[in-house]
Amino acid sequence: MLLGILNSTSQREVPPEATLPQRLIHKDVKAFEQLYDLHSRTVYSLVRRIIQQSSTAEEVVQDVFLHLWRNAAQYNPEKGPFVPWLLTLARNRALDHLRLKSERQRRREDVTAVMPQVAIAPGYEELLDTKRWTERVQTLMGSLHQRQKQAIELAYFEGLSHSEIAEALKEPLGTVKSWIRNGLQRLKEGLQAAS
Amino acid sequence: MNNCEEFRKLIEAYALGALDAEEHAALQAHLSLGCSDCTKAIEEARWVVSHLAYLAPEQAPSLTLKDRLMQTVRAEATAPRRPVLVFRPRAIWTWVGVAALIILTLYSGWSTLRLQEQTRQARDSTTEAERDHRKLQEQLALTDREVSILTDPASVRIGLQAQNAQTPRLEAMWHSQLGIVVSGQQIPVPAGSRVWQLWLIPKTPGAKPVPSLTVRPDPDGKFVLPVFTPPKLIVETKALAITEEPAGGSLQPTTAPRWIGGIS
Repeated sequence: MLLGILNSTSQREVPPEATLPQRLIHKDVKAFEQLYDLHSRTVYSLVRRIIQQSSTAEEVVQDVFLHLWRNAAQYNPEKGPFVPWLLTLARNRALDHLRLKSERQRRREDVTAVMPQVAIAPGYEELLDTKRWTERVQTLMGSLHQRQKQAIELAYFEGLSHSEIAEALKEPLGTVKSWIRNGLQRLKEGLQAAS
Repeated sequence: MNNCEEFRKLIEAYALGALDAEEHAALQAHLSLGCSDCTKAIEEARWVVSHLAYLAPEQAPSLTLKDRLMQTVRAEATAPRRPVLVFRPRAIWTWVGVAALIILTLYSGWSTLRLQEQTRQARDSTTEAERDHRKLQEQLALTDREVSILTDPASVRIGLQAQNAQTPRLEAMWHSQLGIVVSGQQIPVPAGSRVWQLWLIPKTPGAKPVPSLTVRPDPDGKFVLPVFTPPKLIVETKALAITEEPAGGSLQPTTAPRWIGGIS
C-alpha cells in the first residue's frame, strides 16, 4: 500500500527542506538551524511528554540535535523519510533517559544502528506540515476507545511492555495485545488514506 | 510459533517496543533468517509508530536551548578539519612521511595508553578520597552524637562501681533517644584478645541480661564505648554491667561482672 505513496509522491516536486539532512553531512550550519526551527517543537513536545520535566527534556533534545549534527551520515534518505527517523531517535533517547529496566532497553532497537526503512519517497514527510499530522493522528487515535488509546500511549510514551500494560490497566494480556495491534492497524490505514 | 503468519501478529507491538522478552526473542530469531515480508512490515509499522509523537501536547523549548546548540554547532563547524593524506608511492619523501606517520601513530598509541592509565589512577584516587570523606563524615556524625549524649541535660548519669576496689570506676551517660556512652580512664586492658562487654540488666524479674557491644581500652587505659540503643530501652533497664568476655563478645555473660551500676 505504501508503495503506492512512493509512486504518487515521486512525481511531486521535492521541497527544499528535504535536502536539509544531507547538507548536514557537509557541516552546513544554516541547514542545521533550519532543521532545528522546523522540528524542535515536535521533538521537544515528544521528549517533554516522556520525561515530564522541562530542564531534563531540554538536555535530551540538545543531545538529539547534537547527535544529528555529528552523525548526519547515519541518516540514509533512500531508506526512509527524515522526520520518523528523528522522532524515533528522540523517543529512544528520552526513554533511555528514564533509566528503564535493562529488559525494556534491550527490546528497543538502537535507531543509530537500524535505520527506519519506509517504502515512501524522501521528502514526503515535508509535504504535510506538523499541524496537519497532529490533527490527523489525534483524530485517528481519538476514534479508538479510551482504554485502547491508553494502552498504546503507555507503550509509546512510557516504554511499557504488553504484560506491564495489562498489569497497569488490570486487563487480560490478550485484550491488551489485540488493542495495540488493532489500534496501530487502524492508525496505519488512516495515515495511508490521508496520504 | 513457526510460520510467518504467526509472526505478523507481533509486528506492530515489535515496532512499538511493547513485546515481552519471549515474543521479542522469537521474532528476532525469525527476522535473522531473512524474512523479507516481515522485515518490510516492520519498517511500515515503525513509520506508523513514529506518528504517535504527534499525540504529545505541543510545547516549545526555551530560546536558550537554540542559542546553546547553535554556539556548539558553529564552533564545531569552524574547527580545523583533519588534512587529507595523499599517497604518492613513487616519491621517496612519501615513504619518509609514512615512516613518520607510523612512528607518530605508535607514539600516539603509547600516549593514549599512558593517558588511560593516568585517568584510571586519577579515578582510583578520587574514589579513595570520596571513601575517606565518607568515613570522616561518619566519624564526625558519631562524635556529634557522643557529644550530644554527654552534654544533653536529658541524659542520665550512671556510675559503674568496680567490684575490685583497686580498679577505677566507669561512668555512663544514657540519653533515652540517642544512646549510651560509657567512659573511663586507666582501665586495665584484658589479657590476650579478650574484651570488656556491656550488659543491660532488664527490670523484668528473671529476664536474661541483654548483650551489648564490646571494647578494649587503648594502651593508656582510656575506655570509651558508645552504644546507640533503641529509644525508650532505658525505661526497661534497671542496671548496666560489664564483664570480661572472649573477643567478639558473648550472648550470655561468662564471667562475673567487673563493674555494675544501677539506673535511678
